Amino acid sequence: AAGSSGGPGAPCRHHAQLGACESRAKYREGWRPRAVKVYTINLESRYLLIQGVPALGVMKELVEQFALYGAIEEYHALDEYPAEQFTEVYLIKFKKLQCARVAKKKMDERSFFGSLLHVCYAPEFETVQETREKLQDRRKYIAKATNQRDCFVLRKVEGPKKTAAKNSEHDCPWSTSGSSIASNWDPSCFTSSPGVSHNTAYPSGNQNQSLLTSPHYDNNCAEISGYFGQSTSLTPSVHPGMYTPPASSMLQRMVPACNGIDRFMPRTTHLQERKRKREEGNKFSLIGTSEDNTEVVIGPQLPEIPKVDMDDESLNTSATLIRNKLKEVADSVSTSVEKPESSSAKPVVKQRRRI
Amino acid sequence: MELGRLEYLQALVTEFQVTDSTEAKEQVLANLANFAYDPSNYEYLRQLQVLDLFLDMLTEDNETLVEFAVGGLCNLCLDKTNKEYILEANGVEPIINCLSSSNEETVVSAVTTLMFLTTPRSRAQTTALPVVECMLRFSLSANTRLSNLASIFLQDYCSPPQVEEARNLSKHTAVGIPLPKD
Repeated sequence: AAGSSGGPGAPCRHHAQLGACESRAKYREGWRPRAVKVYTINLESRYLLIQGVPALGVMKELVEQFALYGAIEEYHALDEYPAEQFTEVYLIKFKKLQCARVAKKKMDERSFFGSLLHVCYAPEFETVQETREKLQDRRKYIAKATNQRDCFVLRKVEGPKKTAAKNSEHDCPWSTSGSSIASNWDPSCFTSSPGVSHNTAYPSGNQNQSLLTSPHYDNNCAEISGYFGQSTSLTPSVHPGMYTPPASSMLQRMVPACNGIDRFMPRTTHLQERKRKREEGNKFSLIGTSEDNTEVVIGPQLPEIPKVDMDDESLNTSATLIRNKLKEVADSVSTSVEKPESSSAKPVVKQRRRI
Repeated sequence: MELGRLEYLQALVTEFQVTDSTEAKEQVLANLANFAYDPSNYEYLRQLQVLDLFLDMLTEDNETLVEFAVGGLCNLCLDKTNKEYILEANGVEPIINCLSSSNEETVVSAVTTLMFLTTPRSRAQTTALPVVECMLRFSLSANTRLSNLASIFLQDYCSPPQVEEARNLSKHTAVGIPLPKD
């Protein structure tokens, strides 16, 4: 997967450790100092670059430590990568992206044999196919998390065509697979389930916020309707909390200012929905945040345990049973549940046992 | 101060609009863009018009704001409702313009966002000839992230005739002698 010199293996801008931001407003200071950075699917990767490993012949211990977070496919030292004196740089490739994500979060800035590790993603080591699969997985995840089934697929990448021209990394795939591309592209294959724009509580780390003060929803209702009224004025006043685009761009966009039904849902329905979300959210109140959000977190930050398809019927069944059980418990007891789903991230459970 | 999710996001948006500090704007925008990674936030973000915020930032002079904004869009545009909103708001054009940025993250986010925004209705725009031409150039880049994404764009989102047309644009053909096909 590593390319020739100049490509992967060379220091990249996104490997650089940014200084922590010092000037954050109090309300959005997290528990740990964080740099200002945006994580997208392009930055994330199954490949992790680990810098600052003391040159003491501790590769085995390093890999064992990282293996706590998930199955590792490959690992090796990167001898060409610039390293501080007495340290080495390693590349570790996880089988799953979410494991790499957790490992990065836990191991970054961790002391290891007296040296501070710096862990970052290394997407430049990916092959085209690996990048493609990463994007596909993200698509599937969003479709699942938002209950939308968008079957618009330009090429059936899962199918046997995969082996045709896909594995080649040069930019000339137009031989035999050419005609099949066009046939896959029938616009009529674009069907999707009616979008339910409110999401079904995907239990990610951010749910813990719902434990806190309940939002003053009537304020928002008033502001939403107030905002629409103003959409044609030249100097809309700033509605606290809602982004007011400059009037000129509003006209340009010619967007129906409301996004559809959900904006005008009757107040009671929203409240019910919030209650439901809060109840489901309570289950995961101790789970930490996903990305490097500088949000206020209550309780210890635990690795994110994503609710994903585990590609295995029995695992999915177990996961569903556990989830249902958690829901039951959450419904009958109003306190939060402490034990996360153990089936979705076995190495993580091990980690959580420490006091 | 403890805040519920909606209030927290609200506070971010308010700070963004009210602050004079570029630094604070960048921090807040990064924060919002990271929140945009998680589908459980989408409804709030839509409610707070954060999609418009991201779209507006694409034309800012501040490169960092552009980078974070297109990153935010990349994070949330796979959701069907968000996708439709962005398309209706003519978001494709400013994203295409991001392809010519000198900021690597901006370009990379823009490429992915265009892929994610491609639908039967929008593909005429997202895979317009200048875009395909640009992707051809990117696919030859030494930057693996960029070349990977551009290759996927060309292979999965463009038809062979489209790529051929773009390729011919950048080639010089000797009179009467067609160049060999790669």
